[in-house]
Amino acid sequence: MTQPMIELRHVTQRYGTHTILKDVSLALESGKFYTLLGPSGCGKTTILRAIGGFDQVTAGDIFFDGKRVNDLPANRRNVNTVFQDYALFPNMTVAQNVAFGLTIKKMPADKRDDEVAKALKLVRLSDYGNRAISALSGGQQQRVAIARAIVMQPRVLLLDEPLSALDAKLRRAMQYELRDLQQRLGITFLFVTHDQEEALAMSDDIFVMNAGEILQSGSPVAIYNEPVNHFVADFIGESNILPGHMVADYQVSFDNRTFECVDAGIPSNEPIEIVIRPEDLTLTDLDHAKLKVTIDNQLFRGDYYEIGATDDQGHSWLIHSVRATVEGQQVGLTFQPDDLHVMRLHEREADFEARLETYEEVEGTAHDEA
Amino acid sequence: MKKLSRVYLVLVFIVLYLPILYLIAYSFSQGTTMTNYHGFTWQHYRDLFADPRMLAIVADTLLVALLSSLIATLIGTLGALSIHRTSKRVTRDVLLSLNNILMVSPDVIIGASFLIFFTTLKVPLGFTSVLLSHIAFEIPIVVLMILPRLREMSPSLLCAAADLGATTRQQLNKIIIPFITPGIMAGFFMALTYSLDDFAVTFFVTGNGFSTLSVEIYSRARQGINLEINALSGVMFIFSLLLVGGYYLLQQGNAKRRQRSQEAAQ
Repeated sequence: MTQPMIELRHVTQRYGTHTILKDVSLALESGKFYTLLGPSGCGKTTILRAIGGFDQVTAGDIFFDGKRVNDLPANRRNVNTVFQDYALFPNMTVAQNVAFGLTIKKMPADKRDDEVAKALKLVRLSDYGNRAISALSGGQQQRVAIARAIVMQPRVLLLDEPLSALDAKLRRAMQYELRDLQQRLGITFLFVTHDQEEALAMSDDIFVMNAGEILQSGSPVAIYNEPVNHFVADFIGESNILPGHMVADYQVSFDNRTFECVDAGIPSNEPIEIVIRPEDLTLTDLDHAKLKVTIDNQLFRGDYYEIGATDDQGHSWLIHSVRATVEGQQVGLTFQPDDLHVMRLHEREADFEARLETYEEVEGTAHDEA
Repeated sequence: MKKLSRVYLVLVFIVLYLPILYLIAYSFSQGTTMTNYHGFTWQHYRDLFADPRMLAIVADTLLVALLSSLIATLIGTLGALSIHRTSKRVTRDVLLSLNNILMVSPDVIIGASFLIFFTTLKVPLGFTSVLLSHIAFEIPIVVLMILPRLREMSPSLLCAAADLGATTRQQLNKIIIPFITPGIMAGFFMALTYSLDDFAVTFFVTGNGFSTLSVEIYSRARQGINLEINALSGVMFIFSLLLVGGYYLLQQGNAKRRQRSQEAAQ
């Protein structure tokens, strides 16, 4: 295994009696787009500040290329940050802002000006060098902040919710631009956000955080399809989460019925939670129904209808359907076995992966024999 | 309603400026008292500029004002920076309160205590004692003018500077000082005006042979008003008008430049 570029080992951060980070470990590899995703106050910005060197961590170690950097001050770390409020220097022009780090490094003026021009071109602000910061729009300021950071040619760029102050349309455009920029530069981005759509759209890997802990890490698809617990399932996308229990391997019971599923390795009769994404539920007639529900309401969302319904056990369901239905009508719902995702209560990410491995191996051999 | 408010405003300005204009008008009057206007003359201005004692006092006053406000601005800036840096809330509040107490305590008390302080330490009363006491009562003003500006500064600015490789010293020189410069300038001008027109504190610590304008005017007024004082007031009034006008033009220039760059962006 290659050495990770940045590694946090058992990092804990406390302010007074308040614990912000609880024993966080993570590793970042070169050239990938990472996202720290979590609700506000979960400690994601604290991780960023620890890596940037703005705060000393209470316990644990931070490594850059295998070297411990806990005691290295921010101005001597080879990472750069795009701040949430952009933190552009108001007393300088756009070009002076971008040139700031290079001036500090005492780069010769002509070379520096070339680099600044290149960086401004990269963020498509070539003609804005002489503008005052106050004369720029939010999106332009944000791009200046990025130019100011990447002109330093860092190996890691830390971005602290840089899109949160932009309007929805601009935010979408900037998502594409950031992803594109990261791929062109080939450097590692560590992006902090509370917006799950943003995280899913841009990242190679996501760390989902809550209350100072990393709950799950993995590719957007893996996290969306196989959330490890109730919090992740609820936070990432929309979902129907119902209590149930395991009947046997590949058989799960909820709503007083037993269904086929693709999960195993859980003792029978153990209480579990099942997750079904609203887009995996299909409306059907009552004869083909796996579940029967009564439609409570529906909202037209443009590309789909968002339908609220209740089953005979009193559980409410959220369904996304391209087809409209009638309020108050009883309809059937159907889904595939692999649309059901089973979550054990209090299972941690490592346990989940270990369990997955045991039965996927069994499955693999079974297939080979067949 | 609008008319009423305008009339009120005019009345207020009349009350504020009439005494000054009255004083200045008599500086052009022949004769030696302010009882009757006797016809136009430049005589009092000629007297004023031929009075070496008066001119020396004006020079001393300006010197004390400039020197003390420069030193007070320097110390006050460092003080504001240090109060702002103090992370412990209690310490910061105590420091700030100690600063504010000096602002609100009566000049007479400050003057008397300086007199006792200087005589105990056997500091000769004169230029030094006046300068020191002016610096002392100007520092809190400077601190109060700079602190709001520091609070306005986003802490992430300094993080960003550090992030780009700036040392603490470079952060101070390139980010903090330029950012708080308007506050420093305001503090300096406030200190200058406080020093120029301070009477109570100065009165206690001048001693013999050294005097400032306010003290001199006071002692002359006790002997009966002399129209030379009126002439001096006229000169001072024009001087402060020019100062205010200059400051206004400076501000206008800044605003216009900002507006122009804003227009260029659109």
